[in-house]
Amino acid sequence: MDFYYGMAQLIGVHTLLGLSAYVVLLTGQVSMAQAGFFAIGAYLGGMLTVLSDWHIVPAMLLAAVATALVAAIVGFPALRVKGLMLVVATLAFGEAVRLFWFNFDYQVAKGDIQVGPLGGEGFKQIRFFPENGWTTGEVALFIWFWVVLVMLALWWMDRSRAGAVLRAVGEDELAAQSVGINLTSVKVAAMGAGGFIAGLGGAIYAHYTTHIEHSNFGVVLATFAIAYPILGGLSNVLGTLIAVIFIQGVLVEALRFLGDWRNLLFGALIVLAMNVRPDGLFDARVTRLLKRLLGFKADA
Amino acid sequence: MEDFWWNVLDTAQSILDGLMFGSIYALIGIGFTLIFGVMHKINLAYAAASIGGAYASLVVYVHLDAPALLVFLSAALASGLIGFLVYLCCFRFIPTERPLATLMSSVGMLIFIDEVVVHVTAGFPEPYPAIFDDVMLVIGPFWIRGDLLLIFGLSIVAMLVLLYVLYRTQLGIATRAVAQQPVAAQLCGISRETTNGLTFVISGMLGGLAGAMIGASVGVLSPLLALPLTVKGLIVTVIGGLGSIPGAIVAGLLVGAFENVFQFFRGVTERDMYVMLLLFFFLVVRPQGIFGRVSTRD
Amino acid sequence: MRHGILKPDIQLGGDIMHRVMTALGVTALALSMATVAAAEDRTVKIAGFGAKSGVVRSFGINTEAVMQAAAEQINANGGVKLADGSVGMIEVTFDDDRCNAEEGISVIRRIASTDAIVGVGPTCSNVAEPLFGILQGSVDDAGDSGLQFPIFTDTAIKGGLAKISDWAFRNVPNESEMYRSLFEWLQSEHPDAKTVYGGVEEDFAHSRFTWYNVMKPRSDEAGYEVKGESKWLLNDTNFTTQVREMRRAEADIIAISAHPFTTCGVLKEMARQRVKPMILVGLTSSSSLETLNGCAEQAEGIIIPTSFAPVTDAAQAAADAAAAKGGSADLHSAAAWEIMMTLKDVIENAGVMAKPDTVEADRRAIRDGLAALNEAEGLLGKIQRTDEGEAIKPYVFVFADEGAWKVLHDPGS
Repeated sequence: MDFYYGMAQLIGVHTLLGLSAYVVLLTGQVSMAQAGFFAIGAYLGGMLTVLSDWHIVPAMLLAAVATALVAAIVGFPALRVKGLMLVVATLAFGEAVRLFWFNFDYQVAKGDIQVGPLGGEGFKQIRFFPENGWTTGEVALFIWFWVVLVMLALWWMDRSRAGAVLRAVGEDELAAQSVGINLTSVKVAAMGAGGFIAGLGGAIYAHYTTHIEHSNFGVVLATFAIAYPILGGLSNVLGTLIAVIFIQGVLVEALRFLGDWRNLLFGALIVLAMNVRPDGLFDARVTRLLKRLLGFKADA
Repeated sequence: MEDFWWNVLDTAQSILDGLMFGSIYALIGIGFTLIFGVMHKINLAYAAASIGGAYASLVVYVHLDAPALLVFLSAALASGLIGFLVYLCCFRFIPTERPLATLMSSVGMLIFIDEVVVHVTAGFPEPYPAIFDDVMLVIGPFWIRGDLLLIFGLSIVAMLVLLYVLYRTQLGIATRAVAQQPVAAQLCGISRETTNGLTFVISGMLGGLAGAMIGASVGVLSPLLALPLTVKGLIVTVIGGLGSIPGAIVAGLLVGAFENVFQFFRGVTERDMYVMLLLFFFLVVRPQGIFGRVSTRD
Repeated sequence: MRHGILKPDIQLGGDIMHRVMTALGVTALALSMATVAAAEDRTVKIAGFGAKSGVVRSFGINTEAVMQAAAEQINANGGVKLADGSVGMIEVTFDDDRCNAEEGISVIRRIASTDAIVGVGPTCSNVAEPLFGILQGSVDDAGDSGLQFPIFTDTAIKGGLAKISDWAFRNVPNESEMYRSLFEWLQSEHPDAKTVYGGVEEDFAHSRFTWYNVMKPRSDEAGYEVKGESKWLLNDTNFTTQVREMRRAEADIIAISAHPFTTCGVLKEMARQRVKPMILVGLTSSSSLETLNGCAEQAEGIIIPTSFAPVTDAAQAAADAAAAKGGSADLHSAAAWEIMMTLKDVIENAGVMAKPDTVEADRRAIRDGLAALNEAEGLLGKIQRTDEGEAIKPYVFVFADEGAWKVLHDPGS
């Protein structure tokens, strides 16, 4: 049972990572910086619980807010850069953040040992969960509480005007501007929201792995972050969740019995998926189907 | 005073070393920019395909004991082939209006190529042949690596050959036509698919040469090379201007030189942060890159 | 054909025959039932896990090969004796954690949900640290909800990890001790060498730790003047600046704390810039086939302390067994062999039942058995086990000679 709770935890955290990229992707910006924001959330959240003895909830919320601020600040220069140049710029920013933590030392003595981030050696002993007796199941529930909250918030936003505005910017910026949408505020807000979600996810990540280091937050994680919403499809938050389950649950875990072939299939299946369903696993058609099944009025 | 003089010399030496290394970055940048120019897509599997081609050329090196130049050539050919494979798997069948899908599928291809390399070599560093790798030209206080000079020279030759192909051959005209006006080009009877495929082959060959050059300059090939090369190549492409070949050349040399200078002054742990800052500087001051044109509505 | 007991002609003879036959039949039946009882599934499942992807793929391959070879040998020699006198056969599984912390945690949770009673791994220190972190810290701490599963590590070598949890044990060499001994021996062997300069891979936890916390202080304590160090990153390709610094430092000994890829890159650059120190010292992990595969010529003469070399009969036998299974024995995978042999002893002494309903008790028994160990049998000699769950292993100094690792000096002799 522990194994399934552990998988639930992992899928939850990665869904938050994916959703942080999703909300930014809605505005047409491909952000490879989400792993960097994830890292900020992780280090800040960890520092607050380990060095300042905070409870995890205020720690992760503060970490998320701080990350959102950083993301919003990044949002401004990102406005000047369009399309695929933004991919590179955000990739570079994410790497810059990782390198910042690589160079960051802040140790405090607790009893007779030093705790805190130590540059290349990482940040160890982030043991809020085990020290406070949280079982694997309780942690999984805790994580999913936040995941569901974020998903509901995004779903609700999508059904409201805000969602339409975001998607309008994503579809055609010039047209959106011509109907009076302020591009700057929309894009920066989306970046900020993405940063908040990534910060939340990162703070949780630090606590359920108990040890983080800069190399965890590199290009590979940044790629996973955008892979989830792209593979899942942008029409619906559920797409990202399905994609996380597909990648982490199926490709990584369930295919273990294939031994060495698993790693080869990983890349190959992604190529196949994108060729077969270029709009993602959960594209507009599936969303309409789902809506009809659930009894919502089918929109145009 | 003595210290200051040493510093100046060292800085100059760093710039020199960096410039020569930068020629490799320039090759990778050209490859990225070529694909972008023609298809307006990024092929994230490019650097991995380049390294993959270099690995493939090891077969010629190990089993046929071929001379270094032949190994480099076979690396280029192998990468051209892999490039075509990447085109088929990631770009040919996905509709052009889906840039995200092609991006993601090229990521999948990158992972796949990396895994194949790891499986075949068990992750071991593999020795790679070099020319003049024991030659060190000492000119005054400066030490210039003979092999890097050759690599620099080979890269220049490759770039010149590419420019010749692009501006003096039918294929080149077709490529540029498809890049500028895909619909009009098709109306003139130029097959978009064939041109795109051939572009991937050409850029693949350039990449293969770059992969071989990296192998030659380090002395060993390792799967570790693919990802950093991808990041650097993309940075070079953006600084140079997406779609501009002269831009990629200049930017490659620039990044190579600056990287080494940053490392000399601030050490290796902060070096890459400064390279990122260089990129941001360009994005703020000149977002279209050194030679790119200011883009209008898409 | 008529079944049943033979009915000979003579009545009396037939009677005796009848009884003998019955007796024989009953005995045969009883024996066969006993065999069936003994053949009831009492497999001792040992779960290996490590990196079979990326640049560290060879580590996983080697550990798996060694574990299989060791299990085969143990089973061929009669398996393990279980608490109730019956015999158990060892079964080894191996999972790939891809040198990724989250995946390592998933793998160990998955293993813990099976009836495996002990885990062997991981390969990477950046997996070991988080992994040990999710284990129960102090045994019998009811408030600690960490996983209760014993892990015995063969490869992850970054200093000081086993003390993170009472359930974590390691059979990795103590680098501090080995390098102390190496530098002291070098002082006596080469009294004209006075200075040391380092080269360090900064962004990899193990290599960074080993230069700053082991090589540098130990060489200083041995009486050398440490002139400084040059730094690079794990996947760097250009070492001209660093080797220039080395050239200027003109140190007698150059100690490189890096893994095979960059070690080879630096050594080749040193050859180019004509940097030839008196003595070259390397990182423990680089005393493997990888380095020789990449740059045997340039690595000629490099001295590395290692906890495995085929210098004893047992070591040679282990190396051969590993090779037969498609892997190679080096200081990391040979540790896995020693772990398997140690586990056999611990299992036999700890009262393990290896039944589906005794899994938790078995795991606890193995943990307690490992914690109580003061000494274990190693391939190079006796291994001392510390209170923290670490090992103090015998070691030798090897050097690269004509494309192979040869023993330079055995401090234990």
